[in-house]
Amino acid sequence: MNKRLNIIKAFCIDTGIWVYIVFTVNIVLNKISGISHQKTYYEDMPSYLVQGLLIATILFFIKGCSLGKDILKTTLPQSQAYYKRPSTYIMCMVFLLTILSGWYISEFSLNDLFSMDGLEKATRLFSSLFSPNFKVLPKAVSEAIETIYMAFMATFVAIPISFLLSFFAAKNLMSQTISQKIVYNVVRFILNYTRSVEPLIWAIIFIVWVGIGPFAGTLALMLHSVASLTKLYSEQIENMDDGPYEAIKATGAHPILGIWYGVVPQIIIPFLSFTIYRWDINVRMATIIGLVGGGGIGELIIQYTGLSMWNEVGMIIIVLAAIVWSMDYLSSIIRQALK
Amino acid sequence: MPLLKIEKLNKIFPNGYHALKDVSFEVDKGDFLVIIGLSGSGKSTLLRCINRLYEPTSGRVLFLGEDLTKLSGLKLRAMRAKIAMIFQQFNLIPRLSVLHNVLSGALNKKSVLDGLFYRYTPEQKKVALEKIELVGLSHRTYQRADKLSGGQQQRVAIARALMQEPLLLLADEPVSSLDPATSHSIMKYLEQINKELGVTVICNLHFLDLVRRYASRVIALKDGQIIFEGYPRDITDEWFKKIYGEDAIEVKTT
Repeated sequence: MNKRLNIIKAFCIDTGIWVYIVFTVNIVLNKISGISHQKTYYEDMPSYLVQGLLIATILFFIKGCSLGKDILKTTLPQSQAYYKRPSTYIMCMVFLLTILSGWYISEFSLNDLFSMDGLEKATRLFSSLFSPNFKVLPKAVSEAIETIYMAFMATFVAIPISFLLSFFAAKNLMSQTISQKIVYNVVRFILNYTRSVEPLIWAIIFIVWVGIGPFAGTLALMLHSVASLTKLYSEQIENMDDGPYEAIKATGAHPILGIWYGVVPQIIIPFLSFTIYRWDINVRMATIIGLVGGGGIGELIIQYTGLSMWNEVGMIIIVLAAIVWSMDYLSSIIRQALK
Repeated sequence: MPLLKIEKLNKIFPNGYHALKDVSFEVDKGDFLVIIGLSGSGKSTLLRCINRLYEPTSGRVLFLGEDLTKLSGLKLRAMRAKIAMIFQQFNLIPRLSVLHNVLSGALNKKSVLDGLFYRYTPEQKKVALEKIELVGLSHRTYQRADKLSGGQQQRVAIARALMQEPLLLLADEPVSSLDPATSHSIMKYLEQINKELGVTVICNLHFLDLVRRYASRVIALKDGQIIFEGYPRDITDEWFKKIYGEDAIEVKTT
């Protein structure tokens, strides 16, 4: 029974790989022959599927040519060295084709990068960036302060929320009863969903909700921080030593105290270190969020770049670099002290 | 009435491993019962099934006439308070002082709020200091427990167990991560607790000479079943080979 299932799995793997190979080969051929520049990957998919399935079916029955069988080890251990097996060559081919088709799909072009025209424009831009306009320094600093405080508030509000949530998102604490498992899965799902949406998108949502300005940006950062911190915290809880928790449970203490005494002292230092790192990330992310109107120094950047005022942008970049550098320095000092 | 009566206890882990098979025995008040057997024979599982750190699959655990397997919530915790436990890895709370580790043995008498804020009564602090003195660690009272040596940590764990004022002490291989000299010192503390304070002890051990020296009764487990029950002097070479396998050679601690 198990063996039959494995053979089906192996065939699925083979089919997947061959469909992918047919797909990449088509991209490379199209590019070389210059037939089509349209993105019709999706529309062409049925033909790739049929071709891939066909090749996979044929090769599946030829000894040593099925990658799926090799991966799942359904065949007996082969005496052949790995570099003599056909499946090794298939893997190499997949890797090479991925690089080639990736090159074409992302329109990699050394010509564009090193064209005279482009280089001239870049030189002009960089010379402006490196001769910053110090007149905008006061404005840049004021906006930067807003950015730093946005990041601080987002982190600060996220800490207690993530701290509480992390216990419900830790598998080892939530696997006793069915209701615990349900809570665990619901919390995990919501967190993953929240985390998969970039803060930039959240910022746009909150701008619609609470209006343009730093509050929207702070909310976006906060939501994302809660999701990421909870994940990091709960993973820390999952990696803890069960012993002290068991010992406190065995004294007959309330389960909440079991966690407070048996779990929290073990995880508090990693928690603090994650939190500081998160604040660091939030400062940098707050800048990006400003680009869509979430307040702070990012707003200034988008204004000046829109007007092609590169000297002013150069000034802001210097301010940003100073902030990132000092945040980095500060957080490394604090993390060192916590050990 | 025996203090503890185990009836047809079975434990099957979720992965299908049958760790305890119809284990039944009795423990009288004042006993120093030692459980021996190879690693993986079910000794730790048995102890953990008694105070329900593990859920037994079937069977009864009668403590003071009450079936522990039927209890939950407040009642279970009240019973756990009377059954202290010490562990092979000591399981002290890291970053907390010796005093606070010992005080945590009184958590069963605390409300959640008091516990969260580490609030203890002066009376409890006095008792804790007495227990620390009993295990000879007064000079370490305010040091971090995780910075102590193995033997000292196990003594803190014993003090924490005594803080519960237990009727029964479960000791899960208390000396397996200690050197021979320290092992004897820890066993002597357990003996003192058993003889002077009248606490019944159930202890998992590996070394037979420790068993002969300290146990009042012995149970041997093999593959989750009791294969020997009796007094330490009854463990002959023949039994030794049955318990530990034909090729086993007895190792002595000094």
